Amino acid sequence: MFDYKTFAYSKLRGIAPRYLPFADVATEEVPLSRLLRLSLFQVTVGMALVLMVGTLNRVMIVELAVPASLVAVMVSLPLLFAPFRALIGFRSDSFVSALGWRRVPFIWKGTMWQFGGFAIMPFALLVLSGYGEAVDAPRWLGLGSAALSFLLVGAGLHTVQTVGLALATDLVAEEDQPKVVGLMYVMLLLGMVGAAFAYGALLETYTPGRLIQVIQGTAVVTIALNLAALWRQEPRDRVRAQAMLERRETPQFADSWRALTALDGAIRLLVVIGLGAFAFGMADVLLEPFGGQILSMSVAETTRLTAVLAGGSFLGFAIASRVLGQGGDPLRLARTGALIGVPGFGAIILAAGSGDLVLFVAGVFAVGFGAGLFGHGTLTATMRRAPKEQIGLALGAWGAVQATAAGIGVALGGILRDIVLALPASRALDPATPYLTVFTLEAVVLLMALIVAWPLRALDGRPGRSKSSLKALTPMSRPASRSEPDTGLSNPGPRPQEVS
Amino acid sequence: MSTNDPDKVWPTGLTLREAEEVHSYLIDGTRVFGVIALLAHVLVAVTTPWLG
Repeated sequence: MFDYKTFAYSKLRGIAPRYLPFADVATEEVPLSRLLRLSLFQVTVGMALVLMVGTLNRVMIVELAVPASLVAVMVSLPLLFAPFRALIGFRSDSFVSALGWRRVPFIWKGTMWQFGGFAIMPFALLVLSGYGEAVDAPRWLGLGSAALSFLLVGAGLHTVQTVGLALATDLVAEEDQPKVVGLMYVMLLLGMVGAAFAYGALLETYTPGRLIQVIQGTAVVTIALNLAALWRQEPRDRVRAQAMLERRETPQFADSWRALTALDGAIRLLVVIGLGAFAFGMADVLLEPFGGQILSMSVAETTRLTAVLAGGSFLGFAIASRVLGQGGDPLRLARTGALIGVPGFGAIILAAGSGDLVLFVAGVFAVGFGAGLFGHGTLTATMRRAPKEQIGLALGAWGAVQATAAGIGVALGGILRDIVLALPASRALDPATPYLTVFTLEAVVLLMALIVAWPLRALDGRPGRSKSSLKALTPMSRPASRSEPDTGLSNPGPRPQEVS
Repeated sequence: MSTNDPDKVWPTGLTLREAEEVHSYLIDGTRVFGVIALLAHVLVAVTTPWLG
């Protein structure tokens, strides 16, 4: 007699895996197309950053007439979440899952927060600005909901970026990590540039309805791209799941942190990252007003300035990926980046005196190029130094320091300029002085980063970290799951039983 | 039929514990999205009341 039950079960078994969000088996080579797909999460992060820091910053002040200081507070709220990236990374390292997952649940949660923040943000902003009937709404409702929406988006994007980078690191072999870092950076930049153009075009004629469409559209695009990025990337791993469940004591953050920072030069590297990100971040917001006010460039020209800066970074990422892919030393590259940034700022400062536009643009390009090399070098160095089971924490620490320092740099750059501008003595001074103060400070901070980074040279070139010794150090990673064919869905279960 | 065996792989390709975890993500998502939808509706109602 034909056994319908067995037939149905075998059919089910064949269909189901295609509709489940697991990678089939951990494979040796992750194809580029899959990495490209994974890097889509960076596009959503870039979109969120541009929308909050650029577009909404303007829309809230100009169109919604929210006080500028309140806008500044709202826009910097996501920054509050940046230091928690280390904690998120650690939690994903020590996550207990029956599926053996460590990264996917966090990326999904982060995506939900990002979506949720964007979903309520337009209405929160309208209530905040007292649009329509909201004039009579209590003040705390607008303030609270707007703050909540910015916090949600911030929490979401920091989570997605930290854990997404950790997942990318998990997926590829060490010699391919530079390529992945380059790819992730380029996608972030592409997301930011594309989003800036899109938001500019979409909000050309502002209406409240259009604002709602744009922000909620961002929410939908975010969740779609992140789902596409996440789908079937992390392998289900029954061996790892078993190990997770059997782990007696839950690891503590403090212990893991101590273990990570006990590594040779770990703290020093974090300090270097912080100083560099601070210096390069400070430049971001001041270059355009500087070009406009001091060198009397037009709006179109200063916008192109941003393109020059981004182009320099692109070139930096490309060269860094190439050099590091051929076994270059990431920290030397980071030092080179800082070293190029210093004369870059020097050229910008000199250009103010002579009014030489070519020198100025060259300086901007050099700063972008240096920032690209520096960012790529430090991130690759962080990835390479991290022990396999602490990748989330290491990348979280990198992100926490980098994002916090860059954010403080951006804020301080503007504040410092305004303070120097407000000094009673400054009326007699050249209008360029406030800017030059900040640019000089940036060059000095970069030099400090260089000095702190100098002793790191001896550590990173250690030949002992060859591939073979690394493989031996990491028993619990892809090699383990490869030797255990039962982790794949096509071959389900460590103990296949008769279905009866 | 050994339904109590935690290691039994069901025709879906999942064990019981794995299926429960997948389900927990679904429940979690429903809750979060539900709260967000509720909040969004409240805010819209404050701006442009539709209930009189």
